[in-house]
Amino acid sequence: MPKLSKVSSEEVINSAKKELKGHGYIASAEIATALYLAQALIKPILIEGPPGVGKTELAIATSKLLGKPLIRLQCYEGLDESKALYEWKYGKQLLYTQVLKEKLSDILEDAGDLSQAVEKLHAFDDVFFSEDFVEPRPLLKALWEKNGAVLLIDEVDKSDQEFEAFLLEILQDYQISIPEIGTVRAEVPPVVFLTSNNTREIGDALKRRCLHLYIPFPEHKLEQEIIKTQMPDVPQSLSKQIVNFVQSLRGMDLKKLPSISETLDWTRALVLLNATELEPHLVRSTLNLLLKFQDDIEHTNPEVPTLIRNAIKDT
Amino acid sequence: MLSDFIKALRSSNVTVSTAESIDANRVLATVGIENKLLLKHALSMALAKGIDDKKSFNECFDLFFDLSMGLDETKDHDRQISVESEDAHAKTADVLNSLEGETLLSILESDDQIALQQLLAAAVQDVQLQNIRIFTQRGVYMRRILEKIGIDTVDERLYTPTDNDDAEKSDFYRLQHLKASLIEDVASIVDKSLLLYTANEANDLRQEILQKTPLARIEIRDFKVMKQLVSKLAKKLTSIHSRRRRKSKRGYLDVRHTIRKNIQYDGIMFDTVWKRVQIDRPKVIAICDVSGSVSQVARFLLLFLYSVSEIIPKVRSFAFSNYLGEVTELFENNSAEVALAETIKQWGSGSTDYGGALSELERLIGHEIDHRTTVLILGDARSNYGDSGHLALRRIHNRAKKVLWLNPEPRSFWNTGDSEMQKLGACCDRVDPCRTLNHLERIISDIARTAA
Repeated sequence: MPKLSKVSSEEVINSAKKELKGHGYIASAEIATALYLAQALIKPILIEGPPGVGKTELAIATSKLLGKPLIRLQCYEGLDESKALYEWKYGKQLLYTQVLKEKLSDILEDAGDLSQAVEKLHAFDDVFFSEDFVEPRPLLKALWEKNGAVLLIDEVDKSDQEFEAFLLEILQDYQISIPEIGTVRAEVPPVVFLTSNNTREIGDALKRRCLHLYIPFPEHKLEQEIIKTQMPDVPQSLSKQIVNFVQSLRGMDLKKLPSISETLDWTRALVLLNATELEPHLVRSTLNLLLKFQDDIEHTNPEVPTLIRNAIKDT
Repeated sequence: MLSDFIKALRSSNVTVSTAESIDANRVLATVGIENKLLLKHALSMALAKGIDDKKSFNECFDLFFDLSMGLDETKDHDRQISVESEDAHAKTADVLNSLEGETLLSILESDDQIALQQLLAAAVQDVQLQNIRIFTQRGVYMRRILEKIGIDTVDERLYTPTDNDDAEKSDFYRLQHLKASLIEDVASIVDKSLLLYTANEANDLRQEILQKTPLARIEIRDFKVMKQLVSKLAKKLTSIHSRRRRKSKRGYLDVRHTIRKNIQYDGIMFDTVWKRVQIDRPKVIAICDVSGSVSQVARFLLLFLYSVSEIIPKVRSFAFSNYLGEVTELFENNSAEVALAETIKQWGSGSTDYGGALSELERLIGHEIDHRTTVLILGDARSNYGDSGHLALRRIHNRAKKVLWLNPEPRSFWNTGDSEMQKLGACCDRVDPCRTLNHLERIISDIARTAA
């Protein structure tokens, strides 16, 4: 087993963390480790976690960090090869066919007999199915990118099982086969992120090819740091109260728990309303930013004063 | 060492493929083993690929690295030795050699914890503690480890007659005390390994037995395990079911794609491209008898119903004894325990009235039943000599795609006493006894195959 010095990997991870922070993304140790491993082992990362904890954001921040273009593929039911991988520019093909038709007599002029004519035509065979006529879609684009890219395959659980199987070749070897052209291989393998909201179980074959990263709701400290980075002008005491409040909300029995993006929206709203600390009527009127179901809001409303009291007490 | 860890993971129900263990090795080579937290994060990414898996992984990791303590308790050059010993499967004797002729006795006397831990770790490997399977093996493995590390030298010393001066005596007691604590250490190592490598075996056995036990005889305390089993079953079935449906459909000609595809033939339509039809998920209406006569089974039938409705989006569930009521919303908004208890409390008090229930069903949603609807009835067909409701069921059958009846009684009990299976069964496409989970699975997968 080759022994790499421990210092290097730890240092790289820490510096990755710092650099991500520079791009406005606060990463936990786990996230930074995943990023490091993905590059060290050249493997895609499958990110799971509740909605709104920054799965997609991570890919965006990474692309900024590495200075590579972000290519995004949003998955949905019915997504197929022609939308994800490539398509022929059929308009152009049609146009060129017309052109060829007109030139046909010129070309075949000096052909003596039929076999010669066929031979001559053979030379034009593959023109219409060459790379010039390929319209690259996100996956092919990512492979073609000369200096590598960050490929984000978003919400892969929304796509069909067939599509998942089709991803396997790309994720394992960073290559794809186009029947008419051959195999396209990436010179520099892209950094691949797959995200999933767990609407359905991802197949084992796909999971096996990826590193698996689970991003949970952030811890107290981390969430506060995130608010601080995103909105530096929020007073310390308010952000502490906000985080306390949201964290205790997550302990409750709700249909949809508020995640980071909701916390940020709420903080923005409170700042806009010139709030300096949480007050019951303020919280009640803005609660719909945190909770997205009427049931949840009704359920929480009577608890608001207690929650606020606890949130303020802790600070 | 890593392979042992993977073995431990597998025994606690995390599936690890060979490819993944190769990955784990690469991860290990990349991050090293010095920073435990880093290693934990890194390995968990390569090995545990789900939320439940992550949880088992964390438990397993802590236990495992607690056990192979040579890792983080020793420092500097000692670490070097222990690292190598993991790579090369060093024998206890080698470790002893590397300790320059020290014996267990001298180690104990000099209270050299580091050396002791190394010695223990090597002995654990030597006796292949990872192969421990059942708790009765504890004694054997303990004995073997103790022999390996050379407990006999200590014994020899203890039982050699000595002069009776006080210094010797206190030495004797000290050594005896050390030996006792050593044995305790070994015992705890063995116990932890037992926990680590066999965590799930008992559980697996229990699940296997539960699958074969008649539903009526399953105790309430097994409810939790049953819940897992049932939801696993329902998940499996729905995934098979939905795939089959998707394959079998074929729709209209897609003109745009056809033209595009046939450019290569100069626009002559050789290849045709078909549009895929919207996925049409079957509607299922499930009715469950929750009266006294089936109360034991009802819990589990309801549980199954609950799991199905969690997975298939369009299930409408009804429960009845003498009245029939819809429980779809109850199932949607509550956890299984609450929903089941509430259902039984609300609907389960009366005596069964199939006639009333079926005509009530017809009145409530008769107009919604159409050629895509599957009606699933769970009950024993015992209507207390009242109206059997077969006329209403006949009308339902005429409208629906399929009517299925699952009866928790064995076939030989049907049509005895007040059982109306003959009349009611005649109005169904399929009647099956459904006594154990295995039955349930077989029937439902049959249905899925033929319904598609």
